[in-house]
Amino acid sequence: MTERDTRSVTTLRDLPRTIEPKADLWPQIEAQIARRDTVRAAVAAGGARRGAAPPLRWLAAAAMVGCVAVGVWIGRSVLPGAGSAPPLAQAARPVPATVPTAWVTDPRYQRQHEELMRSLGTQLATLPPASRAKVVASLATIRQAKQDIESALGKDPGNALLQELLVNTYQDEMRVLTDVREASDAGKGI
Amino acid sequence: MTLAQVEDSPIDWEGALVERARAGDTRAFERLYREHTGRVYGLCLRMTREPHTAEDCTQETFINAWRALAQFETRSSFGTWLHRIAVNVTLAKRRKTARDELVPDIEVEEEGVEPDWTLETPVEVQEIEEAIGALPEGARDALVLHALYGYSHTEAAQMLGVAEGTCKAQLHRARRLLRERLNVEVG
Repeated sequence: MTERDTRSVTTLRDLPRTIEPKADLWPQIEAQIARRDTVRAAVAAGGARRGAAPPLRWLAAAAMVGCVAVGVWIGRSVLPGAGSAPPLAQAARPVPATVPTAWVTDPRYQRQHEELMRSLGTQLATLPPASRAKVVASLATIRQAKQDIESALGKDPGNALLQELLVNTYQDEMRVLTDVREASDAGKGI
Repeated sequence: MTLAQVEDSPIDWEGALVERARAGDTRAFERLYREHTGRVYGLCLRMTREPHTAEDCTQETFINAWRALAQFETRSSFGTWLHRIAVNVTLAKRRKTARDELVPDIEVEEEGVEPDWTLETPVEVQEIEEAIGALPEGARDALVLHALYGYSHTEAAQMLGVAEGTCKAQLHRARRLLRERLNVEVG
């Protein structure tokens, strides 16, 4: 299978049962495990997250983002509903220039993001109060996660896990914004 | 007491590592990985025949194992448990990329003695590996689990998600094809 084994055997049970992979697979496995555990730990931590020690805070915040889309999705299931204008002007923030990925600085992404943020207030107004509150809380969590991860990246710019978490956070934000728009559009049609 | 002494002691150090890994100790899990990766990769490589795919399957096996550690029952072998996961992962990956091979669930004539897969004359390992690699997937899977890794018909069938009769039929077919390819009697 790799180097030719010139031994001869008289039973299949004498074939080698152990074959070592050429590369050490542990680093990738460990990274995957760490990522999954981060999310799980943050979900389990729940409200206690705010009390976490500063070095871990960004992890908890970033991991919380994973729950956001679910929250929005749940919110969509109770559409439509009339409500007052949303208290979410503070959710709109420009994309930082320090994000270490090409797609976030892509003008198309930035245009779409700005457009979604502009229409967010109007769209939130179409959601039921409970869904609206959930979205506002989710976006606040995302914003905090972005700040925390960027801050951690400032101290450790080459950290691949942090970079990945940051990208995931931006993607989650886009997902929430897109879901809100879709939910709002669906509400109008009913 | 040194680490080597600990490992040489009659204490179930693997069970202890599993317990530590269950508690979230990734270093303990890494030790388990180091101990078992060769057997897992060996199985995946023989089932997939592609080193890169086998590496992917091996990685996924350990990641799934980490997630499912709470479900592992310590009375069974950790290595066997890993193999079950590896077979599931490999079959799932294969289903994504290839068509399923349909083999009728036929009963083959029971042989009086469990075959030990002996060869009439010595054959070079590489030649056997190539002959195994050339077998159809179903026959190869059954042969690898049963003849190489020593799982019973029942265990191999359960791992592969097929009826025991199907597994036996695949082994019967594997034996015939090996005999033809290696040009030696396979007992």
